[in-house]
Amino acid sequence: MSKAKIREVNELGTLVKIGSGIALAILLIPVFIVVLTGLNSGDHLTFPPEGISLRWIFAFFRSEEFLSAFLFSFGLALITMTLSTIFGTLAAIFITRFSFPGSQLLRALFLSPLILPGIVLGLALYIFYVSTDIGLARSYPGMVIAHMLVTMPYVIGTVSASLFNFDLNLEQAARSLGASPLTAFRKVTLPNISNGVMAGSVFAFIVSFGQFDVSLFMATPNNTPLPIALYWSLRYTFEPTAAAAGIFAIALVITSMLITSKLVNLQKFSGVKFD
Amino acid sequence: MEDTKDKNNFLRIFYTYRPILLVLPALILFIIFFIIPVLSMFVLAFDKPVTGVLDLQGKWTLKSFLRIYNRSLYFDAAVTSVSLAALASLITLIIGYPLAYLIAKTENVARNTFLMILVLCAMQLDMVIRLFGLMVLMGDNGLINGALMYFNIIEKPIGLMYNKLGVLVGLIQFSLPFMVLSLIGIIRGISPAVVEASRSLGASPNQAFWKIIIPLSMPGILAGTLLVFAISISSYIVPALMGGWKVMVMPLHVYQQIAEMGKWQFGSAIAVVLFCTSLLSVIVYQRVAIRIGGGRA
Repeated sequence: MSKAKIREVNELGTLVKIGSGIALAILLIPVFIVVLTGLNSGDHLTFPPEGISLRWIFAFFRSEEFLSAFLFSFGLALITMTLSTIFGTLAAIFITRFSFPGSQLLRALFLSPLILPGIVLGLALYIFYVSTDIGLARSYPGMVIAHMLVTMPYVIGTVSASLFNFDLNLEQAARSLGASPLTAFRKVTLPNISNGVMAGSVFAFIVSFGQFDVSLFMATPNNTPLPIALYWSLRYTFEPTAAAAGIFAIALVITSMLITSKLVNLQKFSGVKFD
Repeated sequence: MEDTKDKNNFLRIFYTYRPILLVLPALILFIIFFIIPVLSMFVLAFDKPVTGVLDLQGKWTLKSFLRIYNRSLYFDAAVTSVSLAALASLITLIIGYPLAYLIAKTENVARNTFLMILVLCAMQLDMVIRLFGLMVLMGDNGLINGALMYFNIIEKPIGLMYNKLGVLVGLIQFSLPFMVLSLIGIIRGISPAVVEASRSLGASPNQAFWKIIIPLSMPGILAGTLLVFAISISSYIVPALMGGWKVMVMPLHVYQQIAEMGKWQFGSAIAVVLFCTSLLSVIVYQRVAIRIGGGRA
């Protein structure tokens, strides 16, 4: 390769690197700032920063507002995850294993909460709860249902993907060796898709934990998820206590994504939202 | 042994005899709490608008929609929504493409996984927390203004936030991961042989990039921009915080009409317009995605 060509290759590589650097900076700088704010020693983060302390972390543990919201979101996410995983996995098995007229339509239905703007879904549910007057308006079960609708697509998406990738011949081999359809499914298929099921539930957890849009119409002073509590405080001031709560949320997200990366091949993972 | 048998019987009903039972819980949930509420919201939008009244009156009218069209307050909000979302898609594409290219071409598994985790973490982290960081950065007393004043480059804070610029930056931060993820798959799918062939025929790396790689990534580019458009136009939290209620877009009006004014029919009508705009771009997105991904984007 001539010298000119080498330089051209490097130029393109350099452009890609600079561009990637800008993109990563946009993605990550706000997150770093939250961590810095939560760990700074002043009343708010200034330039240049004053120093590092754990005072806001302690303030978070003493704060009625943010700690209770954090725990509320954590509990809500656990319940949502459990229900969504059960409902979603069963539905995914049905959609991928039994072909019938309209199965594509059913799949589209289950994935459609993703394309509906969250605020529109929240509003539609709120109108439904209020007008039917069945006690779900601004209630905990009402909020769980809303969160299930937005998390189930992730479970159904990941589980169906792992069912698609699973070699059906293996199950058929088990069948031809005399296993009943059920035994073949339980002993051969299920262990092979368990990673997909777990990855789906991790996603359900984290999507519910960070959910803002559908919670907006559902929240009350007694039922306040963390994103809503942060939103109300952010409208007036930048409290470092809120940033401290953010640090714990960041840790939770990083943990979840590390778990996911162990469960499924992230390299095959793209277009999460509409899979 | 007895226990296994019980479990077997339970599952057998599901799996062998009544497979429909598998999908029934999810289906019932979706019919009652998804299809019916969304349809009723549509119906409500066409009912006569009366403040404070939620019950169906059965007086069908297009009044709410005409009001959106005729009142500049709401029409401008629609225009702002569309233009900000369109601008965000374009800028996100330019910023996101290099990172997607880098991730797609990184063959080292550990490094690739690391980059994917960074993108996924940024995507999954609660948007309010990400906006907190952005607001501390861009506010009047924020880090950028603070640094510029510290070094005497400016005398008083420049308004980076609580205006359209702030909302735009917020939307870019919000939607960038979605763009990157939409692009990675398609870039990785481009055969290196095609690029090598063009090089061996005398194309420079730059020519190969612009004439071969970019046209071949077109489906991903289209899919990514439409996806970013759809999620940007639907965002409530970004304009609410970064715009400080000074940049009015459709999702803010939806919330205001319902929660603060009790105008159920009119609020629903704005929600219907918002939904249809985002649905339109999603339908095109899925057409594109099906063509490029064999049904799975």
